[in-house]
Amino acid sequence: MADAPALELRGITKRFGTLVANNAVDFELRRGEIHALLGENGAGKSTLMNVLYGLHQPDEGQILLDGQPVTIDSPRRAIGLGIGMVHQHFMLVPVMTVAENLVLGAEPRSGPLLDYKTATRRVRELSSEYGLAVDPDAKVEDIGVGTQQRVEILRALFRGAKVLVLDEPTAVLTAQEAQDLFKVLRTLTAAGTSVVFISHKLNEVLDIADRVTVLRRGEKVDTVSTEGATERSLAGLMVGRDVLLRVEKTEQKLGEPLLELEGVSAVDDRGLPAVNDVTLRVRAGEIVGLAGVDANGQSELIETIMGLRAPTAGTITAAGVDVTHAGPRETLNAGVSHIAEDRHRRGLVLEFDLAENLCLREYKTPAFSSRGFLSPSKMVARARTLLKEFDVRGGDPETRAGSLSGGNQQKVVIARELTADPKVIIAAQPTRGLDVGAIEFVHRRLVEERDAGKGVLLVSLELEEIRSLSDRVLVIYEGRIVAELPPESSEEDFGVYMTGGGRDERAA
Amino acid sequence: MTAKRIGWGAVVLGFLAFFVAVPPLTVRSPIVVIVIAVAAMAAGSYAITAGEKRLGWGGIIAGMIGLVGGYAATQSGVANLERVVVWGALGAATLRYATPLIFGAVGGLFSERAGVINIGLEGMMLMGAFFGAWGADVTSSWLLGIVIAIAAGAVFGAIHALFAVSFRADQIVSGTALNLLAVGVTGYLFVEVYGDLGTPDDLPSVPNVSLPIDWLPLLGDIFGDLNLLVWLALAAVLMTWVFMFRTSWGLRLRSAGENPLAAETAGLNVVRTRYLAVMASGGLAAMGGAFLSIGFLHTFTQNMTAGRGFIALAALIFGRWRPGLALAATLLFGFGSALAQRLPVFSPSGAVLFQALPYVLTLIAVTGLIGRSIPPLALGRPLPRN
Amino acid sequence: MSAPPDSELPPNITVASRMATFFRGGGILAPLITILVAFLAGGLVVLATGHNPIETYQAIFKGSGFNWFFPWLSEDDRIIAALNLQQTLILTTPLILTGLAVAFAFRCGLFNIGGQGQYILGSIFAVWVGSSFDGMPALLHVLVAMLAGVLAGAVWAGIAGLLKALAGTNEVISTIMLNWIAIWTGVWIFNLGSPLQNDNPDQVDVPVSNDIVEGAKLPVFWGDPQLQGLHIGIFIALAALVVFWVLLNRTTLGYEVRAVGFNPDAAEASGINVRRNYVMVMAICGAFAGLGGALDLLGWQFRIATNDIQTHTLAFFGIAVALLGRNTAIGTLLGALLFAGLLTGTSVRNLDPTVFEPQLATNLTYMIQGLVVLLISTDVLVVYLLRRRRRK
Repeated sequence: MADAPALELRGITKRFGTLVANNAVDFELRRGEIHALLGENGAGKSTLMNVLYGLHQPDEGQILLDGQPVTIDSPRRAIGLGIGMVHQHFMLVPVMTVAENLVLGAEPRSGPLLDYKTATRRVRELSSEYGLAVDPDAKVEDIGVGTQQRVEILRALFRGAKVLVLDEPTAVLTAQEAQDLFKVLRTLTAAGTSVVFISHKLNEVLDIADRVTVLRRGEKVDTVSTEGATERSLAGLMVGRDVLLRVEKTEQKLGEPLLELEGVSAVDDRGLPAVNDVTLRVRAGEIVGLAGVDANGQSELIETIMGLRAPTAGTITAAGVDVTHAGPRETLNAGVSHIAEDRHRRGLVLEFDLAENLCLREYKTPAFSSRGFLSPSKMVARARTLLKEFDVRGGDPETRAGSLSGGNQQKVVIARELTADPKVIIAAQPTRGLDVGAIEFVHRRLVEERDAGKGVLLVSLELEEIRSLSDRVLVIYEGRIVAELPPESSEEDFGVYMTGGGRDERAA
Repeated sequence: MTAKRIGWGAVVLGFLAFFVAVPPLTVRSPIVVIVIAVAAMAAGSYAITAGEKRLGWGGIIAGMIGLVGGYAATQSGVANLERVVVWGALGAATLRYATPLIFGAVGGLFSERAGVINIGLEGMMLMGAFFGAWGADVTSSWLLGIVIAIAAGAVFGAIHALFAVSFRADQIVSGTALNLLAVGVTGYLFVEVYGDLGTPDDLPSVPNVSLPIDWLPLLGDIFGDLNLLVWLALAAVLMTWVFMFRTSWGLRLRSAGENPLAAETAGLNVVRTRYLAVMASGGLAAMGGAFLSIGFLHTFTQNMTAGRGFIALAALIFGRWRPGLALAATLLFGFGSALAQRLPVFSPSGAVLFQALPYVLTLIAVTGLIGRSIPPLALGRPLPRN
Repeated sequence: MSAPPDSELPPNITVASRMATFFRGGGILAPLITILVAFLAGGLVVLATGHNPIETYQAIFKGSGFNWFFPWLSEDDRIIAALNLQQTLILTTPLILTGLAVAFAFRCGLFNIGGQGQYILGSIFAVWVGSSFDGMPALLHVLVAMLAGVLAGAVWAGIAGLLKALAGTNEVISTIMLNWIAIWTGVWIFNLGSPLQNDNPDQVDVPVSNDIVEGAKLPVFWGDPQLQGLHIGIFIALAALVVFWVLLNRTTLGYEVRAVGFNPDAAEASGINVRRNYVMVMAICGAFAGLGGALDLLGWQFRIATNDIQTHTLAFFGIAVALLGRNTAIGTLLGALLFAGLLTGTSVRNLDPTVFEPQLATNLTYMIQGLVVLLISTDVLVVYLLRRRRRK
């Protein structure tokens, strides 16, 4: 049994209702290797690892550790078996100290009391042993995400993890922090720990992993060695089609500026600077892409434009109207449409029916109400037209929005926002979680709006989407616009600026 | 002189404005009161402009209370004042009125620190009041009475946990339901068992603890002859603090209330933690109820908690979910009640208004005027479905 | 751009969105099963304490006067049934209104536990206006007294709405506090030597208000005015149900209220002023509850004593009424009838004491009420029903 892999998953199937998140997936992790789990968003990577960590129970399949079949029904069991996991969203308690978080669940005691001194000492020991610097007495809410991640890794090691799973660990890290992390991972594997590294970033995977298992729509495509693999070959496995999906665009007819931000700054919910001195301009007939890694101020910037967040500095002009201090209603009325990044949160009222959702902007206009009284029949009639026009399937005007599929929900949002005849369209993550057909629909509509002389600000985490749709691309990093690039620029160029690398180069 | 010190000075001055006008100092000139109170408010305003908003507002409010209270005292007869303001008796009464609130607040702390809102404190307290009396009557032992009260409270807590944790119910609605249910259950059993006669006169009651400290001025009067449950309540605060902030169980309980997923991924059983916390909450609140029935009033009457569970909840919020601050809040509210009991000397009806004081103060507190109360992060959030 | 750590929860949860499953699914079946379970549990308690639950429920039903609708009733029984039914309908009036005070808030995502305080404020102002201004034209006097109650309730609840809008204060806490402030204010204001204590020389030692003057009393249209017949307040309550329905489903305000209730973030993003809605909605809720208090005073109570205020629990039934009625107009009506019937049927005046002791029965009503709310607090029943239906 000495040669048995550290971990083996056999035929894991996990269903959520009718959705099959994992379909008979096999996965093998050798001792001391870094094994990447690669796939697009929604390919089933996190689900597979949550099965391994006891957060989900598989419907079928088997887990073997060191060749022994095991049942993992809770994280407690997983920890006991030497499995540690660093989640995408850190599982730490913000108001507690690093040491408290680290020992939670396996606290050193003296008598009935928590032995906090021993806890901090253990943190210091581990911290120097693996070269992961943390301050045991700092509160988690006061330390940066990079440090928080170190705490999570230390916690897994503290609990004796021999198999370490990292779920998209670099998503929140700067380039430098990511390099530091890779160094740590190599130290760990040299000491015999095995690492599962979940990612959807090709370059990273080639950089750090020994082998790669690719998942696509819940199924395992292949396991390959990174030796000899290229970004292109991996990308092919990952998406199963040509990577760049080209969108047909006509020649640009640029018009006057429709959306102008001048030195706009804003703070986030905790009062920390989130948007820093952003100046940008969207003209009629162009799609301006805003590229950036998650949580670099994009959400706050959109909210500031839409009047949902008060700017601390700067001016915002939409279609010639000063909307710097306008509320959401005034901003909408100035001719701005908003395809919200999270349609469940901002885009739709899921408990409303489609007719009601389609009227969210205009219920007060004479078309749908008079003297404060609604005209339901008019709302339904209009909804019927729109549902046909935008090809919304699976519902009529009286259907609850929450019962539609994600793609059709997004079509409802787009139908509402585009029929308001806007001049400016803020499209935030407009294709998140949609299938290919719906994505194409959304892309086509956005390009049509551009061709019709509207100004589109496209905010997306999918670089491919930004590159294929935009006429020019701005890169946002830590709330600042750090670069403007043509969409044809290489992925590496974008990557440098998106991870904050560009500033040093410019300074040099 | 930092702004912070001036802020604290304002608070102290505010209370001083009242204090000089009552025995033993009994200053008779309203000018003195007004001067001190105005100084308090001025210092408070300064503190606000200097950035110490919370303390500053606290100082201004203390100044206003001192002004009103102190001025009223200068305008009333010395004899009356001396009958009302007997610090020893007031102190003892404060502790007596505070005791059910302390148990309730500490009980609420367990539940809410673990992430489960406990609006049902009132009901749990009422259960304790009835079952304490009934248990003591049936077993002829106050000790077993308390034990039975705790058990009844814990059972009620378990029902709350069943709905709030396992059934993922809306915790406020289920807590409200428990309050309504407790009125029905205790009322029904009370009528069924005791009928029109009420609980017997020889109901065993929790004894007082006599300390040989009569010779101590003031302290002797306050602490010399308190009910055992008063001491237990004070001990409960200390023990709760140690439990919450100095033991690993407390760490686990708080993690379940701050970030249950984190607790879960650290290998903890959040469901079990929450169950135990809510049951402990019920048991403690029930002790407060038992104090009312077999420690203080020596009888049970229908719906006798009369909102004390809600004041306890208010004290918990007022005290920002911290044992020490919650204790301070219960003592403040208890002092209001103690004073209200003695004020009818001046105005038979006006004293009643003092009963509203805890609620007014809590209302001010939750508006964030004197600092924001930040509840445990996951408070009221059911666990995600797996 | 990321979701919060526990991304299964919508970012801005309201009590309405959390309980949406219950209010959507399960048809009429879920409330019916809820009631059935609550009555069964109550019956078990009756049985366990050595009484006959079937006879007890029969007697309560008889006491409620609902048997008036049975065509086979003898003439004598019908007279008694009519008297009982009048009492039930008298209580239905405030239960509808305090139920609406909960239901309307719920639809905006707010949980108004403050119906009691708003009701008390409404009754205080109604008794003040109704017992003063003797000689004012009758219709005008009634209207002014009602309006005073409505406004008082609206202002009282509006405080909670304002605090929510301006400081983000949780309305559950603030309405609970406002309840108790209202109770103690009420106890004070009619107390000996207080502003609204009666000025009748024979009652100097009684902490009770003045009586409503004849001109401000609501007319009785069924039964004997001397024997507490049914006053026209029930029609005003029924009208309030219609107003509630129209307001919620046919006006732009109601549209905003429902949008805010289900998803305040989306409502805000589409330009709805969420804060203003909170204030408006709470004020309207308070107006409903305050009207309930005013109608009770002008219709049959005619005076308030301080101990009435302290022992007052009627308005709390509004929570059970609204939740059981799924915060709809028709549901609130049915819920109000159910609990009014239970309250009347278990009252000392109406329940046959040889079958079951009324004092016990009153507590049985509280128990049933508590169980109903408890069962509704979770959606397990509805989820179960939905799943079964899907399987078929």
